[in-house]
Amino acid sequence: MAKFLLKRLLALVGILFLVSLGIFMLVHLLPGDPTTTILGPNDTAHNRAVLMQQLGLNKPIWTQYFLWLGNVLHGNLGQSFITHQTVTSTLANAFPIDLELIVISQIVALGVAIPLAIASAKKPNGLLDRVSTTTSFAMLALPPFIIIVFAVLIFSIHFHVFPGPGSYVPFTQNPISNLHTMILPSLVLAIGSVVIYFRLLRGDLITTLQEEFIVMARSKGLSNRYIMWRHALRPSSLSLLAAAGLNIGGLVAGAFVVEFLLAIPGLGYALVNSIQQVDYLAVQGITLFVAVVVVVLNFIIDFLFTIVDPRIARE
Amino acid sequence: MSSTTDAAPTSESLAGTPAAPKEKSALGKIFWISIIWIGLVFLLAIVASWIGLDDPNNGNFALINSSPSWSHPFGTDDLGRDILSRVIYGARVSLIVGFGAMAIGMGLGGTLGMIAAYRRGAVDTLVSAASYVMLAFPALVAVIAIVAFWGHDIWKITIIVGIASTPLVYRVVRAATLSYATREFVTAAKAQGATDTRILTRELLPNVLPTIISYFLIGVATVIILEGALAFLGLSVPAPTASWGNMINESRTYLSDNPWLALFPSMAMFLFLIALNLVGDVLRQSFDVQESKL
Amino acid sequence: MSTEQSTTDFPTTEELSGPLLTVKDLRTTFSTPRGDLTAVDGVSLELGRGETLGIVGESGSGKTVLSRSIMGLLPRSKTTQTGSILFEGTEIVGAEDAVLRDIWGAKIAMVFQDPMTSLNPVVRIQRQITESLRLHTSMDKAEAKATAISLLGQVGIPSPAERVRAYPFQLSGGMRQRVTIAIALACSPRLLLADEPTTGLDVTVQAQILDLLSSLQAERHMAVILVTHDLGVVATRTDRIAVMYAGHIVEMASTKRLFASMAMPYTQALLRSTPRISDPSHTRLTAIDGRPPDLINPPTGCAFAPRCTYATDQCRTEAPPLRTAPEDPTHLFACWNPLQTGHAGSVTTSKGEN
Repeated sequence: MAKFLLKRLLALVGILFLVSLGIFMLVHLLPGDPTTTILGPNDTAHNRAVLMQQLGLNKPIWTQYFLWLGNVLHGNLGQSFITHQTVTSTLANAFPIDLELIVISQIVALGVAIPLAIASAKKPNGLLDRVSTTTSFAMLALPPFIIIVFAVLIFSIHFHVFPGPGSYVPFTQNPISNLHTMILPSLVLAIGSVVIYFRLLRGDLITTLQEEFIVMARSKGLSNRYIMWRHALRPSSLSLLAAAGLNIGGLVAGAFVVEFLLAIPGLGYALVNSIQQVDYLAVQGITLFVAVVVVVLNFIIDFLFTIVDPRIARE
Repeated sequence: MSSTTDAAPTSESLAGTPAAPKEKSALGKIFWISIIWIGLVFLLAIVASWIGLDDPNNGNFALINSSPSWSHPFGTDDLGRDILSRVIYGARVSLIVGFGAMAIGMGLGGTLGMIAAYRRGAVDTLVSAASYVMLAFPALVAVIAIVAFWGHDIWKITIIVGIASTPLVYRVVRAATLSYATREFVTAAKAQGATDTRILTRELLPNVLPTIISYFLIGVATVIILEGALAFLGLSVPAPTASWGNMINESRTYLSDNPWLALFPSMAMFLFLIALNLVGDVLRQSFDVQESKL
Repeated sequence: MSTEQSTTDFPTTEELSGPLLTVKDLRTTFSTPRGDLTAVDGVSLELGRGETLGIVGESGSGKTVLSRSIMGLLPRSKTTQTGSILFEGTEIVGAEDAVLRDIWGAKIAMVFQDPMTSLNPVVRIQRQITESLRLHTSMDKAEAKATAISLLGQVGIPSPAERVRAYPFQLSGGMRQRVTIAIALACSPRLLLADEPTTGLDVTVQAQILDLLSSLQAERHMAVILVTHDLGVVATRTDRIAVMYAGHIVEMASTKRLFASMAMPYTQALLRSTPRISDPSHTRLTAIDGRPPDLINPPTGCAFAPRCTYATDQCRTEAPPLRTAPEDPTHLFACWNPLQTGHAGSVTTSKGEN
């Protein structure tokens, strides 16, 4: 088992290096000029050249990459020459917000999806099952931006239940207000997650419940409840686990639409801003951070896999 | 364990809770309705210029933000443009980006996937490793970055998203091909002296095609959603061109004045996405029998 | 090492002396899209304590459905059962789930055919045994674990204290089947239903498992119903044998009697089609021509008639009732032209004549 995880770890580190390379190249090979952002579009070419040299942007690209990588490995992600904040501090401010969003939305999502899937799998094609399946299917066609537009319309404008865009309050400042602002985006994100989790778990549960070992469990006199939770759930959770990993990884920066629309300063928001400002260091730093988080997450999920299904570790 | 069922249990193989029946007849109707709807959207998008719609890009300023009426069945937007006409023209964007990007993804990723699964060896290891790396990369970020810098017209967006979808398509097609490539009919064909190309096109492709098609449709739906997200960053097709994403985005500012702006493009997108998902899902269920058990 | 059972209903003296299990006219029907499928069609039998009954038949004969019906283990919906199954005075047909759950595991247990699928792959062996113990007895965790280890030892698993923490995939096929037997025996049930317990195991292991079952049964004075398609399996290990075909019991007798003077052409054909180790090599396998009938629309007359060379017109139009043999009232058979009446020839087999 340790060997298995070690192999995975090495592979993931390798991937991270390649990803960092990819990020760097991507950002630097694209057209777009930070000097325009800093100096404005009307400055002279000479000033631009000077600035480029100051920023070290006129060195060969490989040199720049290794310089940057070296810094990164020392924990120095650089200082944005546009906002003058260190990238690290940008991350430190933005990431906890995403963390909060993710935690709340996933708790809600799992809290809804798991019981719903279990109840539906008990009576496939019963009323609950059909309603849940149809609803979740319909939700697939409702991307977050549509939901937000209408949610804001209904809850913020008409009913004043939730605050509208731009009213984010940090947790440390005022926990109640903070939660108040975070509920809407969390719920919107949760909807997308519930759909995925519900369908996967329900499908797998139904399949598992047809297995012979379930009949065997019945034949021992075990109650339906016990059988569902202690015999059926575990073998059925593999797809769910994989999907959760992918989903959460995607949410880390992918919540940007929601953040953008409600002006919540999370990673997605910061990233989009940096891209629009051609803020190289910030874009690189944030993207690299996201990649690291995703990779670590995958690693954790792989580990959890082996716990849920012990057959996997013996590869 | 209580359950409803109608799967015919054979007398020798009774397991626990019998399977959920596939309600073929009810699903059949909805399936065909979806197909017709998809076809209709295609048709309208193609003949848009010839059916006498109002100009989607230039409006009548006298009629700003009006509610639905006979001359403007969906109302008008904040620049007086007819919403119905914009929705239909906007379908073009979604269709081109959606189907175009997936076509690129399937073409590239699908071909690579099939070759990698069939040949195995160095090619497979390399390309698969590359796809792992690409998948670890937050794809959304890459798409946004590239679109922001390279330019956001409809063709560039299509190409970028298409390339971005390649690793995932590669993985799916590779997995599907793998389950066939090791089977005996392939070995038999090789023994008869068939060339690799022939095996790929005549033996493997027909078997993998159903999987490809079903994931294709679901992929189109995802891309259409992506276009919407890009629109919210101002990175979709530039104004004044109509696209469903653009329209929904624009509607935000006028939400309290003119909710119709938000409603119609959202409905159009919603219905189209449901149709795509439905057809894709039904196809996947009918062809997925082998894949479900790992 | 018998475990104390916290049974709240000790059998009455009358029940103790009477049969353990009485099945009367059991009929099990499934409703399928094509129509109603009657898998068990009017079966009656009796089983005493400590007795071993073998139920033999081809695939599709209804033997598995019968064993599961006896236990009451069939899914509820689209299944109709009529008739009576009396187990120690409790009626199984139509019983409430709660009643059945008290019986399952504690008084009746089942050993399933394929240990690969009947054991939960992600649960350790220990729990798969102890959950039954802790449900039906008042044991605590430690006692249950100790009992589980002891059970594993009894079924012949080496190093049981280590093995108990293993997962099913870490054991070989034969050992897995021993584990399922251990699970079934955990609460010392009065009746064990073994549904093709050795099909799918290596031939060498088969005999071991069957011997194990026999010895455990003798120790515990447990009744066993052994379901199989292989007459060879039941030849030496059962007190009585019932032969099933198309949902009916077509012959039932004590084992000795059955082999000595079988009455049904079908039974004879089954026996003939069993390959024997003592046959010279390259002996062709005989099979019975034809196929079992469609249970949704069964033919009129004897269900075996299409495949039987003894068949007369009467056989094809009238289904023969179950009759007792004149010499031995415990020998039942359903045939218009039973073998003892001296018919020459045999059922058509693909090898040719007898």
